[in-house]
Amino acid sequence: MSESELEAHFPTQNMVVNLGPSHPAMHGTVRMRIELEGETIVKADPEFGFLHRGFQKSAENGTWTQVLPYTDRLNYVSSLMNNFGYLNAVEKLIGLEIPERAKYIRVISSELHRMADHLTCVGAVGLELGGFSAFLYGIEARELIVDRVTELTGARLTTTFGRVGGLNRDLPPGWTDVVLKTLDKISSLAHEVDGLLTRNRIFVDRTKDTGVISAEDALDFGFTGPCLRACGVNYDIRKARPYWVYDRLDFDVPVGARGDNYDRYLMRMEEIKQSDRIIRQAIKQMPVGPVIIDDWRVALPPKPEVYGTIEGTMAHFKLIMEGVQVPPGEVYDSTESANGELGWWLVSDGSGRPYKCHVRAPSFALLSGVTRMIEGQLLADLIPTFDTINMIGGEVEQ
Amino acid sequence: MRAAMSSFAMAFIVALFFCGMAAAYIASGFAEGLFAGAGRLTNILFLSLVFVMVMAVALTVAERKWSALMQDRIGPNRARIALPWFRGHSLGGLPHVLADTFKMLSKEAFVPATASRFLFNLAPVLSFAAIFALFAVVPAGPTLPVHNHRVSMVIATPDFGLLYIFAIASLAVYGTSLAGWASNNKLALLGGVRASSQMISYEVALGLSLVGMMIAFDTVRLATDPVTGALGMTDAQARYLWTFGSDFGLPAWGIFLQPVGFVLFFAAAFAETKRAPFDLPEAESEILGYFVEYSGMQFGLFMIGEFVEVVILAGIITAIFFGGYHLPFGEATLARWDLFRQHPWVWGAFLGTVFWVKALFIVWIQLLMRWTFPRFRYDQVQRLGWKMLLPAGLLNLFVSGALILWDPSLRALAVVGLFEIGVVIAFTFTSKPAVAARPAAAAAHH
Repeated sequence: MSESELEAHFPTQNMVVNLGPSHPAMHGTVRMRIELEGETIVKADPEFGFLHRGFQKSAENGTWTQVLPYTDRLNYVSSLMNNFGYLNAVEKLIGLEIPERAKYIRVISSELHRMADHLTCVGAVGLELGGFSAFLYGIEARELIVDRVTELTGARLTTTFGRVGGLNRDLPPGWTDVVLKTLDKISSLAHEVDGLLTRNRIFVDRTKDTGVISAEDALDFGFTGPCLRACGVNYDIRKARPYWVYDRLDFDVPVGARGDNYDRYLMRMEEIKQSDRIIRQAIKQMPVGPVIIDDWRVALPPKPEVYGTIEGTMAHFKLIMEGVQVPPGEVYDSTESANGELGWWLVSDGSGRPYKCHVRAPSFALLSGVTRMIEGQLLADLIPTFDTINMIGGEVEQ
Repeated sequence: MRAAMSSFAMAFIVALFFCGMAAAYIASGFAEGLFAGAGRLTNILFLSLVFVMVMAVALTVAERKWSALMQDRIGPNRARIALPWFRGHSLGGLPHVLADTFKMLSKEAFVPATASRFLFNLAPVLSFAAIFALFAVVPAGPTLPVHNHRVSMVIATPDFGLLYIFAIASLAVYGTSLAGWASNNKLALLGGVRASSQMISYEVALGLSLVGMMIAFDTVRLATDPVTGALGMTDAQARYLWTFGSDFGLPAWGIFLQPVGFVLFFAAAFAETKRAPFDLPEAESEILGYFVEYSGMQFGLFMIGEFVEVVILAGIITAIFFGGYHLPFGEATLARWDLFRQHPWVWGAFLGTVFWVKALFIVWIQLLMRWTFPRFRYDQVQRLGWKMLLPAGLLNLFVSGALILWDPSLRALAVVGLFEIGVVIAFTFTSKPAVAARPAAAAAHH
């Protein structure tokens, strides 16, 4: 008879806690079913679907242009990147080359929204760790970007900007000057956030070595973007497979080492600075010229032509009623969005509507990895981990 | 314009302090005429209810206004009073106090069906009462003759002074842990467990941090006993360590004698108030807090209790480390003025104002910290308490004890203290700028 047989074991059981779907730390509406032993997470089970809108099926029911507004709702923090990513894929399927100026404007506005996305993420990390001031500095900077985007597109959030073959409108007069001033203000605000968080002892303790994921695991889960680069994998589509005019612009891609929350935070802070560089160069290099191709099978004819010539009227009618006639075929194309590789697999049967429209949302892979990152860690570590992967509900649950 | 308005507001607050303290002295003097000890009863009214409570209530707005200032926004200005004269004026957000009060009083006091009803209702009361009683031993003004009666501006002068504060402060943990337990809510339970473990851990560091001050002044009293004349800590600080000139020099304030003790006490007491960065028991982004099931004024008691704690902590720190109601220098010169000599209550009200202005400054520092720092993690708070504050407190105690034995005039202690302050300032100003992530030179092509 051993000693242990006589020991009276105190009967304990693990506590199951629901975080979400309505919970301050669960972005979007994700439900986390968490099994706790004390404060240690034994098992975490993310459940999503509360934001499901049927994006892929809806896309099959509209013309190629009519899908564009749906893409706003994917990553609603940086909708311009979804717009342009989708248009880029459609243009690749048709085999179009868009005008130079349109390429530059796409780069400038994409990078603006990348900054907005990163500022929101960094601010939210501060907010949910209890540092409210950092959040409001970040949001103040994002608000300036939203103002610029509103001037450009007419909408704060659901931009629906750009059309197949280019852009639906040119920059408003004087916009680039305001953007340059905005960048100055943003970098001073980002500096404030930097001062509040980067070397803050409590912040560093909370984020360093928490939510760690190895490069192998990150690749297996399909991580891309800042979260993958934080693990030390140097992969950025803008460098690996440059699209638009990224190969003409001089910028660096930050790469981390440990793959923890702190590195992911640093990646985003550095990318804000690099986006600033890109925008300044792009504004300098941007040529004058048309912003959409002059092909009435793809782009709407100018209004005087529509009202004055039969060819214009016909082209307008055909484009509106039947949509852009994309040749049959399929394509996979991806752009580097704020959270990683935003991929589009488009299939056309030549009917003017997408036969199939699949989105490879970067956040989906990131959310899958959360379980691996937080099991065995403390409940409090879930918060920065969930923040720094920057999961966007609208993108995961299409 | 803005500077003028701010100066006016500050002068107005100082004038309010003065009027309040003058009223407190006069009322106490009158009451002493009725029967001996009645002055203490009016002190309860004036110090606890008028000063601490009104400051705590004003802090609910001040915190929002100050945090707005720090965060580059406007702050509360939506609640307005519909009187002809005030219409269209936000009055600095003050009507929000009324709006909050009405909201909390008129809300349903919801009790979850599975909650333990008696304990659930008891918890906010326990939590608030313990905090509210803390101020009893803190003197807010000197003992003076008013209307031929000796009036001391303190509620009680027990000879165990500081021990009373430790004892009552540790009672507050019952309220929070009961609230977490009685709610029958898993998240509230987590909050309650966090609160009790945190508060119990920091009791040790809290007590230890003040032992240095106790041996330096050879007392645990805060207020001087009006009967026996046994010197309290506040009055013991009203002397010079070194004088330069007739009435100027370095006062024997606790901050100069025990800077380490001050930092330790501030950190430990801050942890006891359960406000950010030590707000893990409520951690609204993780577990929503031990009072997640409370609504209406029951929640209000928890909330206002935190603000009362902030004010009282500021009062205690002022009394122990910043000379209480005493001026740093020039007090003896001022006291010889005819106005002050002929009307002692004016002198008392003046010194009382000094006390509250110092306390308000400490309150401001606390809010500054609350809005700047992120939150600790559960294990990090325990590590800070047991592995850093406790050893530092012990070390500080040994060093201070040795220095006091070596030089009972406390000058050696002050030299070491000033050196420590200098080291902290030097470290602060020589810190390097933040190191950003190093960008990779060029991306590999996959």
